[in-house]
Amino acid sequence: MATEARILPPRVTAPRSIGRSVLLTLPVMVWSLLIFSNSYRGPNRSVLIAGIITSVFMTALFFMMMRTWSTYRWRRWFFVALGLLFPVGFIHEVMVMRGSMGIPMEEMIAGRTPFCFLPIPLLILPAALTKTVVFPGSILPGGGMSGSGMAAMAGLWLAITIVVGKGWCSYTCFFGGIEEGMASLPPRAKLRKIDPRWRYGPWAVLLAMVLLSLALFEPAYCMWLCPFKAVSEYVAARNSVGMVQNGIFVVLFAGLVIVLPLLTKKRTQCAFFCPFGAFQSIFNKTSVFDVKIDQSRCSPCVLCQNACPTMSLTAESIAQGKTLMSCMKCGACVDVCPKHAAVWHIKGTEVAVKPERARLMLLYAAWGMATMFGGTTIAQGLATILHVLV
Amino acid sequence: MPPVTGTFIFGEALVLGLSSGPACIASCGPVLVPSLLAADAGVRPSTRYLTTFLGARLLGYLLFAAVAWELGVLVALPPAPRLLVVGVIHVLLAGVLIWYAYSVGHVHARSRPDSELVTIDVARKRGISGPAALGFLTGLSLCPPFVVAGVRAAELKSAVAAVLFFAVFFLGTSVWFVPLVSLGCVRRSQAVTTVARMAMVLIAFFYLYLGLAMLMGRKVYGY
Repeated sequence: MATEARILPPRVTAPRSIGRSVLLTLPVMVWSLLIFSNSYRGPNRSVLIAGIITSVFMTALFFMMMRTWSTYRWRRWFFVALGLLFPVGFIHEVMVMRGSMGIPMEEMIAGRTPFCFLPIPLLILPAALTKTVVFPGSILPGGGMSGSGMAAMAGLWLAITIVVGKGWCSYTCFFGGIEEGMASLPPRAKLRKIDPRWRYGPWAVLLAMVLLSLALFEPAYCMWLCPFKAVSEYVAARNSVGMVQNGIFVVLFAGLVIVLPLLTKKRTQCAFFCPFGAFQSIFNKTSVFDVKIDQSRCSPCVLCQNACPTMSLTAESIAQGKTLMSCMKCGACVDVCPKHAAVWHIKGTEVAVKPERARLMLLYAAWGMATMFGGTTIAQGLATILHVLV
Repeated sequence: MPPVTGTFIFGEALVLGLSSGPACIASCGPVLVPSLLAADAGVRPSTRYLTTFLGARLLGYLLFAAVAWELGVLVALPPAPRLLVVGVIHVLLAGVLIWYAYSVGHVHARSRPDSELVTIDVARKRGISGPAALGFLTGLSLCPPFVVAGVRAAELKSAVAAVLFFAVFFLGTSVWFVPLVSLGCVRRSQAVTTVARMAMVLIAFFYLYLGLAMLMGRKVYGY
């Protein structure tokens, strides 16, 4: 009865007023100025310019999200920029640090591998059984690690993850941007029929890698399967094993990050392979934000299903009014729905009553972390390019 | 070395097994966990699966121990034959894993009631059960706890004593496998079975690579 009596909000088509959009963007502008304040104070001109550009970029994108009511296309600009500029800054840093993109085994054992979040799920079992962290990543400049620093990183990741769940994969991960950029290039997909069972791929990779990491006592995914080793740092190929490992990295990168996104218009690496993504899916259960399908408005046109870059919507899930556990909260389905049936939602509240309020709350949290992690990475990449050019 | 009684020796084997349990779980986990998840749900089928797997693993242990003891190479198996033996075992393990993953899918697709006894032989009537084959091959592989037990068993006076030592050691390690029965409580769905089968194939490819590398004389992961 409550559903029948519910008054649906009007469909919004006109852009939000400039004044109101600016007002809503103000917190993000202040946050971005704070994040990049160090670059304004420093003597390095490249860092200063990069900081200013990034600050304006992040604020402008958020303003456009407010003005146009649209999330996906503006977020995508940020995400692709992050994906492209991360390798630039990262490779520059490892070249300065050790003079090569190849990391020798002794450097890894000494804990001078830059910290990466991808092996987090692989560390749990070895740490639980032996109290040993098998990925000796460093978080201090020039290598090294402190216990409190590591704890702070883990705490920050956990806090963000609990709030946005798998939104991490759309607003923070610095690997997904390249494939999202690739997927956006072709006007339409050439490969449309994808067996839905491939969606279980990330879980299979997670299960296999967790078990192998315990057996081999090393982060097996980083050693054997990470496609992004091809654009970050690889195992120094001193023997045939190293050659095989690097061959696997390149083939996976070319296939999952370049070719398949071009053919399918999907984020294939994220949807069918990434074990960290599967791990993050679990936290969609703790996140207060999700996307719902308002059944009273939905005429199953499957536009949302086709638009979803990770195949997180199926006919069954749409009929149930929800997305699958693998939803990355990118907003593609919400933006594409002509009837505004796909809506942002806060758990515990009624569906489609105040979806814009839910979107705003998600975006403040997600864009805050996007600026903090992604923004600083973009600035670092830009500074590297400017350093060469200016 | 002071004289020690049989009870002391087998007590030592039990304690050694108990303390090596986590390493055994780590070593057998990549084979056992996904194949157990692909099998039927329920505590009873899981217990039956685990019993078969562990029984076959014990057989593999004892067979290897007896043969190696007789040949006098229990501790110091020369590098070349060791690579050959472990390489062949890894290739076989990969083959069985792939075949098992395929068979489980085949059986689930046809909704056979006896899916926990998936035959891995072409001749179904005489087929060997998947868990038995996997357990036997993991028992034969030279995992670190096995080598540790081998070092101690090699000091014993007879092959029978060495085999008994291994049997008691095996009992100690098996205690750690008991909690895995709880995997039977995981509700089986197409998702769980598919994930388990995909993981088995992935792990099989890794073992296949390791096996082939060893057969070509390459040293991988300390073997």
